[in-house]
Amino acid sequence: MAAVTLTNVIKRFGSFEVVHGANIDIADGEFVVFVGPSGCGKSTLLRMIAGLEDISGGDIAIGGKVMNDVEAADRGIAMVFQSYALYPHMTVEQNLSFGLRMNGNPKADTDRRVKRAAEILRIDELMQRRPKQLSGGQRQRVAIGRAIVREPQVFLFDEPLSNLDAELRVQMRVEISRLHKELGVTMIYVTHDQTEAMTLADRIVVLKAGNVEQIGAPLDLYDDPANRFVAGFIGSPKMNFLSAKVVDTSNSAAIIELVNHGGARLRKPLRDAFPAIGAEIVLGVRPEHFFEVGEGDCDIPVKADVAEHLGSVSYVYANAGPEELIVEREASRQRAGGDHFTVSIKAERSLLFDKSGARIR
Amino acid sequence: MRTQNATAYRFLTPYLLIFVVFWIWPIISSFLISFQATRTVPWRFAPAFNWGRLIGDPAFYNALKNTLLILVIQVPVMIALAIGMAVLLNSPLLKARGLYRFAFFAPVVVGEVAYSAVFRLMFSLDFGIVNKLLNSIGLPKVDWFSNVTPAMALIMIAVTWRWAGYNAIIILAGLQSIPEDVYEAATLDRVSKVKQFFHITLPLLKPVIVFCAVLSIIGTMQLFTEPFLITERGGPGGGTETLGLLLYRQGFRSLNFGYASAVAYTMAGLAIAITLVQLWLMREPK
Ligand SMILES: Nc1ncnc2c1ncn2[C@@H]1O[C@H](COP(=O)(O)OP(=O)(O)O)[C@@H](O)[C@H]1O
Ligand SMILES: [Mg+2]
Repeated sequence: MAAVTLTNVIKRFGSFEVVHGANIDIADGEFVVFVGPSGCGKSTLLRMIAGLEDISGGDIAIGGKVMNDVEAADRGIAMVFQSYALYPHMTVEQNLSFGLRMNGNPKADTDRRVKRAAEILRIDELMQRRPKQLSGGQRQRVAIGRAIVREPQVFLFDEPLSNLDAELRVQMRVEISRLHKELGVTMIYVTHDQTEAMTLADRIVVLKAGNVEQIGAPLDLYDDPANRFVAGFIGSPKMNFLSAKVVDTSNSAAIIELVNHGGARLRKPLRDAFPAIGAEIVLGVRPEHFFEVGEGDCDIPVKADVAEHLGSVSYVYANAGPEELIVEREASRQRAGGDHFTVSIKAERSLLFDKSGARIR
Repeated sequence: MRTQNATAYRFLTPYLLIFVVFWIWPIISSFLISFQATRTVPWRFAPAFNWGRLIGDPAFYNALKNTLLILVIQVPVMIALAIGMAVLLNSPLLKARGLYRFAFFAPVVVGEVAYSAVFRLMFSLDFGIVNKLLNSIGLPKVDWFSNVTPAMALIMIAVTWRWAGYNAIIILAGLQSIPEDVYEAATLDRVSKVKQFFHITLPLLKPVIVFCAVLSIIGTMQLFTEPFLITERGGPGGGTETLGLLLYRQGFRSLNFGYASAVAYTMAGLAIAITLVQLWLMREPK
């Protein structure tokens, strides 16, 4: 078991910098998820921790020891690849034992480890099959099994569930969670799927274009995002962003006008900073934070375009001027396209961002 | 459905006719000819005439021995060399990859007469660059064309030079189809590059290697150009005569079509037999 520390880690491919000084502290035994849109450098970060990519700047330490120049095999990590990367010509059993056999590990110990991994992942039945003869979910288990057999201090996962269908994905997510509890080792998990991040992580690292945007527990990121990017990325359906203008500041609050909603006004109490009067800002409201008319601090009338009924909740895609809003309504079966209705925003259930996307608190 | 099929076959008729006349019929016909005495007019059916002669013919056994000897030495050496070349071509360290790829493939496109002439020059006793090189590192000159062993070696070198690159390109395609992350997984499993080659690359290349080996076996069974042009019709004294050459002498020089057909069928039969054994030996477990 080991903590992982990234200090000012930089990665360049040629002169093209893709990771711009990442600082991440991962505690021993923690489950940390790197999340961000495709191409933001998640895999690159993970591969640098694994030792599959050189580090262009900064330090990566595992268990307190700087690993920059340590061979991948000697870092005490195991990695599960997106494509599984199983050895196609070997049986499941050979896949699991290959690394140990090649290194002259005593046979009894190899057998014990393989048996244990097979039990944990319930793949005992599959030991004599080849990867070709396995389903996606089974291959994924074997890939994880191969990592378990190494008895690593840190597990690395690179989008391990993205090739599975939705149902299997949910099932494997639970299994990975269970595995983390059972083994108690540090796990770093990369995904572009915020749902996976929210459900699996002790802490989430949100990345965007090679920068760490925010690090925090899932619900902290949800409730208190540092900027508009994190606010929009975490949560599904996405947070609504309404254009607004500051019309007055007074008494530790700003009065803002929602420019696309007929001049509706909201008094938003602020703690730290006061934007200038006239400044263009953005108000963020999650779909589940639209209240019934009169319950909030600011009512806005909208027209429903489309309603999606999921059973327990419904999402109404509503139009109000040029802005489309997604409104969550508890099982409002009768709501249909074309309906006019009014939603209400509460000041304490909305977030303010300046034009550059930074949070105004 | 049925009328559709009939229409399809009517469109296919011209092709099928040509296929039967120039492909199927010669195969059957030559098989029948191998059972006929063709030195007399009219030809008559005499099964023992050609096949019986074949079994007792020292020239046939000499050609068979030479052909198999070349096969057994040249094919494995060439395939091993081709694998090495493919790995080199696939290496990220290699500069000017396109140039090497072209150079490796070029021998296939060079006309065989031109290539044979160049080989004769390169290996000539007094003027050849090969003997000059041997001399310069203190080794004696070799008379490549007058002694059987060097002549056989020369044939094998020439055939290998001509086809190794071709096989390397095919194997390269196989190499490139092995996903990079399998090697990364092995690296994390602390498996050295050398062990990765023997335990991952080679097993995964097996189907491609078998394919190359089968092509090479079929090619070498029919070997003709090199002993005909480079060692001057199987010289010295029949020392490099192959089955292909024997077939040529019987069919084209002696106009003994029956015997030539018997030789041809022996060659084809051997190629098939060796290929089947090869496929059986290299079969996928289970
Ligand atoms: N080997 C490479 N050479 C050049 N650029 C690369 C290489 N690998 C990744 N990149 C670039 O680095 C950026 C981050 O890639 P990656 O870490 O794979 O993103 P993610 O996993 O978040 O989708 C991308 O812009 C990608 O094009
Ligand atoms: Mg990736």
